[in-house]
Amino acid sequence: MRSTEVPDELSDWCIESAYIPVKEVLANAPGFLSLYSAREIHFEEVYEDILLKVYLPPLREPIDSRHWRMLNELQNLLGGKIIVSGEEFFLSNDQGDLEFTLLAEGWRKLGLLWLLIQNGTLQSGSVLFWDEPEANLNPKMFKTVMSVLLELQRAGVQVFFATHDYVILKELDLQMTEEDAVAFHSLYRDEKGEIDCRSTGKYLDIHPSAINEAFDDLYDREIERSLGGLNR
Amino acid sequence: MTVLTEGGLEITFHNVISAHKFEDHGLTIMKAVDFLVELPDRYLFIEFKDPDPGSDFPSADDPVQAFRTGQLDQDLKYKYRDSFLYEWAAGRAEKPSYYYVLVALRWLGTADLIQRTVALKQALPVSGPSDWVRSIVNDCGVFNIASWNRTFPDYQVRRLP
Repeated sequence: MRSTEVPDELSDWCIESAYIPVKEVLANAPGFLSLYSAREIHFEEVYEDILLKVYLPPLREPIDSRHWRMLNELQNLLGGKIIVSGEEFFLSNDQGDLEFTLLAEGWRKLGLLWLLIQNGTLQSGSVLFWDEPEANLNPKMFKTVMSVLLELQRAGVQVFFATHDYVILKELDLQMTEEDAVAFHSLYRDEKGEIDCRSTGKYLDIHPSAINEAFDDLYDREIERSLGGLNR
Repeated sequence: MTVLTEGGLEITFHNVISAHKFEDHGLTIMKAVDFLVELPDRYLFIEFKDPDPGSDFPSADDPVQAFRTGQLDQDLKYKYRDSFLYEWAAGRAEKPSYYYVLVALRWLGTADLIQRTVALKQALPVSGPSDWVRSIVNDCGVFNIASWNRTFPDYQVRRLP
């Protein structure tokens, strides 16, 4: 939420937050903010909001070791660091500066996360919302993504993400420790068609789970085929 | 009805021509699955993997790792191939053969079971090259105890007290 829209009586409660939308925005960032402020265009406010966040320069004070580790983890995956020149974003490594438009969409999202950590948006007390971190990402990268999200949580950032992906969920299950504060919320429609929610702290207790139901169905059909008509 | 045990697990067979512990064949240089079952139209090769202490689960110290990294697939592959070869040499491999593996890990989800089933199909392999005139295994599947008992009502498994 933009601070200009916070009612006066709530202004003291303003919490630093960032929302990473499903559609990547950095590649189309040059000129977007001026266009958005001057014209009525069909883009949700979240796109303006996230760009305002990533254009923020780094913090004055040095980055702590936990945030350095997260940046390094993402840099190792990306093969470089992100730099901003004018309104354009580049992946910078030994071979030069690569324009964001040349990068895969998933990589650009990891670059966005790197920038939010590097410029101090995601500090203790802040909130990160990420809609479908799995979108456009190679599943092999999920391990690092979930490692960084858990580390952000350990650094005091409240992280919300919505997923439909088994690997994302399983990575969280495998990497989380008993000290981590993790809750799984399963949203579903009840028999009246109303949206309801069940919450649990344990991966195995997530119910109902559309992800598990889809895998159950796949498994049943896989086994049915492997039986070669045995139970008929 | 035939009741057989392997480690801490017991399996009860109904409606089969025969069922016996295959490991009893005595040829120690060949690996062997746990059970061999004969039905009117096929053979079932059955292997139980139980990570309980004392079992032959590969990397028993870390069954999760053995399962996920595919280390277990290698063991399962060779057990089947050697068992099938033994039966072939004995002149008993005339019916189609199916290979079913039960992995008694409590946390196994269906996604894990699908992955391991597909990996086992590739490793055996279920689909051979075009010049094979018969297959070495018609199909295979990996189960946990719950999915095993749901799939095979005539071959129920229980953990011994």
